[in-house]
Amino acid sequence: MSAAGLVAVPVRRRRRWTRLHWAGLAMAAPAVAYVVVFSLFPVLYGLRISFTRYNPLRRGGPQWTGLENYRDLLHSAEFGRSLLVTGQFVLMVLPATIVIATGLAVLVNRPFRGIGFVRSALYLPNIVSLTAVSMIWLWMYSQHGLFNEVLGAIGLPAQDLLHNENTALAAAAAMRVWKALGSNMVLILAGLQGIPNERYEAATVDGASSWQRFVNVTLPGLRPTLVFVVAMDIIYLAQSFAEIYVLTQGGPLGSTTTVNYLIYTTAFQYNQFGSAAAMAFVLFAFVAGFSLLATRGISGRRG
Amino acid sequence: MVVPRALRFAAAAVAFTLLAACSSGGDDNATGAGSGAKHLTVWFPGTDPAESALVKNSLVPEFEKSTGATVDVTYVDYANLSNKLAAAFAAGTAPDVFGHGPAAVADLVVNDRLEPLPVDQLPAADRDDLTSALPGGQVDGKQYLMPLQMQGWLLAYNKDDFKAAGLDPDQPPTTWEGLRDAAKKLTVRDASGRITRSGLLLATDPIGREQSFATLIASAGGSLVDTAAHKSTFDSPQGKQALDYYVSLFNGPDAVATGLGTSFSANPPAQQPLVQGTASITLLAVNAIQKIVAAAPAKHFGVMQPPKFEGADHGAAFGGAGPGLMINADSKAKDLGWKFIQFMIGKDVNQRYVQAFGGLPVRASASASPYVTASPVLTAAVKAAPQFVPNPNVAGWVQARDKMDARLEQALNQKASTADALTSMAADVDDVLKKSQ
Repeated sequence: MSAAGLVAVPVRRRRRWTRLHWAGLAMAAPAVAYVVVFSLFPVLYGLRISFTRYNPLRRGGPQWTGLENYRDLLHSAEFGRSLLVTGQFVLMVLPATIVIATGLAVLVNRPFRGIGFVRSALYLPNIVSLTAVSMIWLWMYSQHGLFNEVLGAIGLPAQDLLHNENTALAAAAAMRVWKALGSNMVLILAGLQGIPNERYEAATVDGASSWQRFVNVTLPGLRPTLVFVVAMDIIYLAQSFAEIYVLTQGGPLGSTTTVNYLIYTTAFQYNQFGSAAAMAFVLFAFVAGFSLLATRGISGRRG
Repeated sequence: MVVPRALRFAAAAVAFTLLAACSSGGDDNATGAGSGAKHLTVWFPGTDPAESALVKNSLVPEFEKSTGATVDVTYVDYANLSNKLAAAFAAGTAPDVFGHGPAAVADLVVNDRLEPLPVDQLPAADRDDLTSALPGGQVDGKQYLMPLQMQGWLLAYNKDDFKAAGLDPDQPPTTWEGLRDAAKKLTVRDASGRITRSGLLLATDPIGREQSFATLIASAGGSLVDTAAHKSTFDSPQGKQALDYYVSLFNGPDAVATGLGTSFSANPPAQQPLVQGTASITLLAVNAIQKIVAAAPAKHFGVMQPPKFEGADHGAAFGGAGPGLMINADSKAKDLGWKFIQFMIGKDVNQRYVQAFGGLPVRASASASPYVTASPVLTAAVKAAPQFVPNPNVAGWVQARDKMDARLEQALNQKASTADALTSMAADVDDVLKKSQ
């Protein structure tokens, strides 16, 4: 038999796990267990609950009802309205937050005396809990609160923004914008500092104005950061609860009843956990969808 | 294959955690197990510091001394009480005895969470003394809640405002129609026509709306729910009369009140409209009126007996049984729990209890006590007690009440006519009550 007729057959050797591999797995196990137990399992259990009728007061635990909860949501005017309110809230807060935070980031991206203090002051709202911020703004909006005192001082009548159907959601949104500016500013500032100076220098050499540099250098350079910020803000804002709970309790006339607030009342005031869970997963689907659409729109990617 | 010890330990930890997370609490209640029914856990509702101090530092030690039992008392704020109870029941860790408002009772009953109270074991004299209180804690004829206080919403008014308006402060109106006429004289407007002082201010905040409406419809001779049929009854001529009146207070050129949706019921005394002078007459809980009188001694306040609508037999006010105590059906210390409840409604104990927070005693005989007779507010409240109308004890009432509240809000804000609001309200409530059975 000639050598040309021989064909080399590769020998596949089974990869042998070493003690090092097992040690690594052992070290990762607690973190994995934590994620599984406290994140993945609750989500899956919640998904299961969404297919049941479950009142914790009732003996016997959850009762399987299939898609009943989801079908009910399709016909629920209350849930539909809460989706609209949530969408309105996001649309009120998100653009204002992005624009103002970007402006602030550009402002604090240049050196000047007291820059540290300014940055810290702008970031401060972010480290105060949303509930505490809401309590403070509740006072500021009250009849004898800061805003009405200022209005009175300049001869204008007092306003009852939180009890007016047409202004309550905007009032909550204003507070939320104020709360969100700091964190978004920091993220955008980091994005700004990641843009190479050479691009600005090149643009300057080409005779670009400040505005042109902002539009053609800054914004494109910020695109990855903005994608992240928009996605995260949509996720957080769509789950707004604390500010609604403190400021308006879903009123007046249901004008501030967000999905999360409706979930809260359905689950914890009426003990209808199955329906509440279904609402949560429908909200998740909406949030995921809109986040994806928004981030693709900003990033310019096509599906 | 040799599995390292560390990995085996981690796997065991994960498995244990998963099993713990997957297991349900079941219906077994370990409370009292092994204690030979000499240990009692009690949850009280609310966060009043004076009340909790009295209960924990005085009343419970007295009970423990007299019975040889040990009692663990926890105060849970109302905002979280229902949530914590639901979680505790699901987990099988609910307390032996717990307190809540009457609105919650029927839901607990329909879910078989409450032990009926053997009120027939009480002496006849005691049952008579509790005549006004007991009905509010009954569901389908059985007693489940033992009220520890009466509650009532009465009209408090500023006597000085009455005098200034040419009204007799010692002879307030006895009908709602008369009240409206008086309110017109008491209402103050600024140059632009905006009301700066409400002549008659009823609550229009969440829950307060339903309570205001309950007062008005009862005063018109109507009712909210047929508890036997589990069906609403407020879409009626009396309901229309009540709601029309309610809406007219805040709307139109003859409005006598302002501040729709604004909450004041739970405000500190100094911020009450009566004290601030932004209202001449307000509907308030008795204990709130007590606090107002104490907080503003320079002002002269009066309390009206419940007015009626012309043509009705008698006036009425939202109230009746207040928060009280119930026994967990799964408790292993039911007898001890019942002893504790009896202790809490004892004549002396109950008076000390309600006095801690300015509440209204649960016993009719307390009307002669120094605590009541020294207070014009409490004296008026005790006199009005037979006219108190409690929340209907039907399963699903909390949600039904919120449905009512939403429709009442629409009517008050003139987003719907009163007739349409009542019709929609009835449909909403009937749907909830039907599903809750």
